[in-house]
Amino acid sequence: MRFVRDWRVWLLTPAVGAFALLFLSPIVFFFVVSFWEVKLFKLNPTFTFANYIRTYNEYFEVALFTFGIAALIATITTFLGFTFTYVIRFKAGRFGSVLLFGAIIALFGGYLAKVYAWKTILGTNGILNSALLGVGLIETPVQSFIFNPGTVVVTLSHWLLPLAILPIYGSLRGVKDLTLDAARDLGATPWQVFSGIILPQCRAGLFAAFAFCFLISAGDYVTPRLVGGPSTTMIGNYIESLFGFRFDWPLGSSMAFATLFCCIALLAFTNYLLFKARRRE
Amino acid sequence: MNVVANTLWRIWGGVVLFFLLTPLFLVVLFSFGNSAVTAFPMGGVSFKWYRELFANPYFWGAFSNSLIVAGSVGLVSTMSGTMGALALARMRPRVATPTMFAIAAPIMVPPLVVGLALMVFYVTLGFKLSVFTVILSHLVFTQPFVILIVHARMVGFDYVAVESARDLGASPLRAFFTVTLPIARSTIIGAAFIAMALSLDDFIITFFTIAGGNTLPTFIWGMIRTQTDPTINAIATLLVSLTVVSSLIAMAVTRYRG
Repeated sequence: MRFVRDWRVWLLTPAVGAFALLFLSPIVFFFVVSFWEVKLFKLNPTFTFANYIRTYNEYFEVALFTFGIAALIATITTFLGFTFTYVIRFKAGRFGSVLLFGAIIALFGGYLAKVYAWKTILGTNGILNSALLGVGLIETPVQSFIFNPGTVVVTLSHWLLPLAILPIYGSLRGVKDLTLDAARDLGATPWQVFSGIILPQCRAGLFAAFAFCFLISAGDYVTPRLVGGPSTTMIGNYIESLFGFRFDWPLGSSMAFATLFCCIALLAFTNYLLFKARRRE
Repeated sequence: MNVVANTLWRIWGGVVLFFLLTPLFLVVLFSFGNSAVTAFPMGGVSFKWYRELFANPYFWGAFSNSLIVAGSVGLVSTMSGTMGALALARMRPRVATPTMFAIAAPIMVPPLVVGLALMVFYVTLGFKLSVFTVILSHLVFTQPFVILIVHARMVGFDYVAVESARDLGASPLRAFFTVTLPIARSTIIGAAFIAMALSLDDFIITFFTIAGGNTLPTFIWGMIRTQTDPTINAIATLLVSLTVVSSLIAMAVTRYRG
C-alpha cells in the first residue's frame, strides 16, 4: 500500500512506461523473431537456431570486417578526443573555451549533412580534387579519395568525435588541480603525474567514449552506403536489405542480435583488460 | 621548452578543431555558390539553390513534419523525463543508479537495431506507420537525455526550501510550482531544446518508422541518393542552423542560472 501511495512511483510511471512499451517490448519481441522462420513470404513462429547458424556461416567475415573498422574508428576518436580535451583542460588556457565551443557546434551539425559533406569533399569531381587541381599539385583527379574503407573511417570518426569528447571532457574535468600540484610537490615526474593520476581518473570516460563509438560504428549502414563504395559493405547494410526487398525479418534480427552480443562481449573484454591493468599498478 | 610544448599542444587542438568544423563550413559555403557542381571555383555568390529548394512543395511537407515531430517530442519527452528525473533525484542511489542505467540503454544501442525493432513491433501490432509512430519512436532516445540532464541538476538541489514551503502549508503541487520549478526551469528548457535538436537530426529511426511522407533528414536522404547539386547544401545548411540554434539556446539558457 505504501508503494502505491509513494509519489515518486507515480512520477516515474510515464518515463518507465515509455521505456517499457517503446524500447523494451520492441527489442524483446525483435529478439524473439530471430528464432522464427519465413515460409512462403510469411512469418512462421517457431523455435530454431537456423538463422544464427546461417548468420555465422554466411556473414562471419563481414562481421569481422565490421568490427575491425569499428575498432579502428573507436580508437581514433578516443585518441583524438582525449588529446583534444587534454589540451582544453591543461594546455590551452583561455583558448580552451574556444576549442570547447567549436566542438559543441560540431556536435549538432547533423548526421546526414556531415556524411554528405565528406561525399562532396572527397568525390572525384569534389572539393579536395578541384582545389588540388587548381593549386597544381595534381594533374588528374585522384579517384581513391572516396569509395573505400578509409572514407568510412574518416567520415564516421568526424561524426563521432564530438560525441566522444563529451564523456572524456566530463571525466577530465573531475581531475583536481590540487592533487596534481601535490604529486608534483612530492617529486612526481610529468609522466608519473600523467600515468598515475590523470589517466586512471578518466579511464571511465575513455571507456564510455570508446564503447559508444564502437557500438554506433558497428551498427551504421548509411555511411558505408553513401561513401564506402562496393568494397565497404558492412553488416548493417546486409541487415537493412533483409527488411527491404529481401524480406527475411528473422535472419535480419538474428544478424542484428549476433552483432550486438559480439560487440558487448568485445567491449566487456576490453573493460576487463583495463581493469587488470589497473590492479597491477 | 615549456612554451614550445604548450604552443605545439595548442596547434594540435587547432588541427582537431579544423577537422571538426571544415566539412560543415564547406557545406554552408557551397550552398551560396553559383556553380552546379560542388567544387572549386565556386563561380560567385547566389541564392538560387535556396530559391529552388523553397519552390519544391515536398520540401515544405518535410519541413512541417519535422517541426511537428520535434515540437511534440520536445514537449512530451521533457514532461515525462523531468517527472522521472525529479523522482529519481529523491530516491536512494542504490535504486536510482540502476534505474538510470536501464533508462539510458536506448542511447547505447545502434539506431539501426532500435529502428528495426520498432518497425517490426508497430507492423505486427497493426499500427499504421506515420508521423505519429515517428513521434513515439523519438521519445525512446530523447527521454534518456532529458532525464540525465535534469537529474544532474536536481541531485545537487537543496530541498530545505521545498520543505519550508510545505511546513508553511503549501500543497505538494503548489510547493513544486512556486519553489522547485523556478529553480530548475532553465535546466528543463535546456533539456527540451536538446531533445528537439536530437529529434530534428534523427534519420535512421525516422526512416524505418515513417513509411510514406518525409521529415527533413529523410528528404535529404532521398535527394542525396538521386541527385547531387547544391540544393542539398542549402537544405543541409538549414538543418545545421536549426540544430545549432536550438542547442545554442539550450546552452545559453542552462548556463545562465544552472
